[in-house]
Amino acid sequence: MDSLHIYQNSYTFIVVFMFVAILLPIVALSAGKLLRPHQPTKEKMTTYESGIEPFQDARVQFNVRYYLFALMFVIFDVETVFLYPWAVAYEQLGIFALIEMLIFIVVLFLGLVYAWKKGVLRWR
Amino acid sequence: MNGEFIAFLILSFTAILGGILMLNLKKVVHMLLSVVLTFVSLAGIYVLLSAEFVAVVQILIYSGAVTIILAFGIMLTKHTARDERTSNRLRAALVGVGVLVFFFTVYGAIDNLFFGPGAEGLHVENTQQIGERIFAHYVIPFELVSIVLLVALMGAIVLARKEGEENK
Repeated sequence: MDSLHIYQNSYTFIVVFMFVAILLPIVALSAGKLLRPHQPTKEKMTTYESGIEPFQDARVQFNVRYYLFALMFVIFDVETVFLYPWAVAYEQLGIFALIEMLIFIVVLFLGLVYAWKKGVLRWR
Repeated sequence: MNGEFIAFLILSFTAILGGILMLNLKKVVHMLLSVVLTFVSLAGIYVLLSAEFVAVVQILIYSGAVTIILAFGIMLTKHTARDERTSNRLRAALVGVGVLVFFFTVYGAIDNLFFGPGAEGLHVENTQQIGERIFAHYVIPFELVSIVLLVALMGAIVLARKEGEENK
């Protein structure tokens, strides 16, 4: 039970860091707002004061190809997550775990080969 | 009232807050950010349950990768559209009654639920324990996971490519 309390209490540090991380931008930005002068003119309010005039909306519709890259990232991200417990427990598991992980990686590698052959990785 | 209980209250409150914000905010990107709030609070609840590894995975996969997928999904669609909602008194009242009935049903079901003694020692070498369980006891489900991931990858490629060729 004692080690559980140590485990839980060590997360107090993370809570403290989280509060600092949340408060720092809030305090910095509100302090800056109180201190700085505020005299807007029409010229100052433009996006680029001495650049070209911006046109269109910044958030345009993306090509569907980006989505495939994001999806492949998620798939291989999940694969990587399985590698962590495998690597940590490898000492206790021995050679059988190595074969298991090889099968796992080969199956997912087939997916990568499929994507490659279908030309998903190539940008046209 | 100990620290664990207070932490649970705060985390569950932020998790529910994220869900409510997601339903009520107007812009799609703001909805996405409130889902991230829910995901992060759930990671905190996992930490309270001594499941450190699951908590880190929750942040890595859900608030990292799944959020990226959602963000791309938003960018592919007409995301400047705002949510227009109509208010209907009768429907709101019916939904309210339904929520209350659901609440009392679930409350009655879980009020005296006993799960048996909780597992101890989960916080000691959490990742190693998970690794030993997966690779010694649950080998077949683990290999099935790779098949599921493969099917998901191929299915997505097939679907997205078909869409892309129609556009050309």
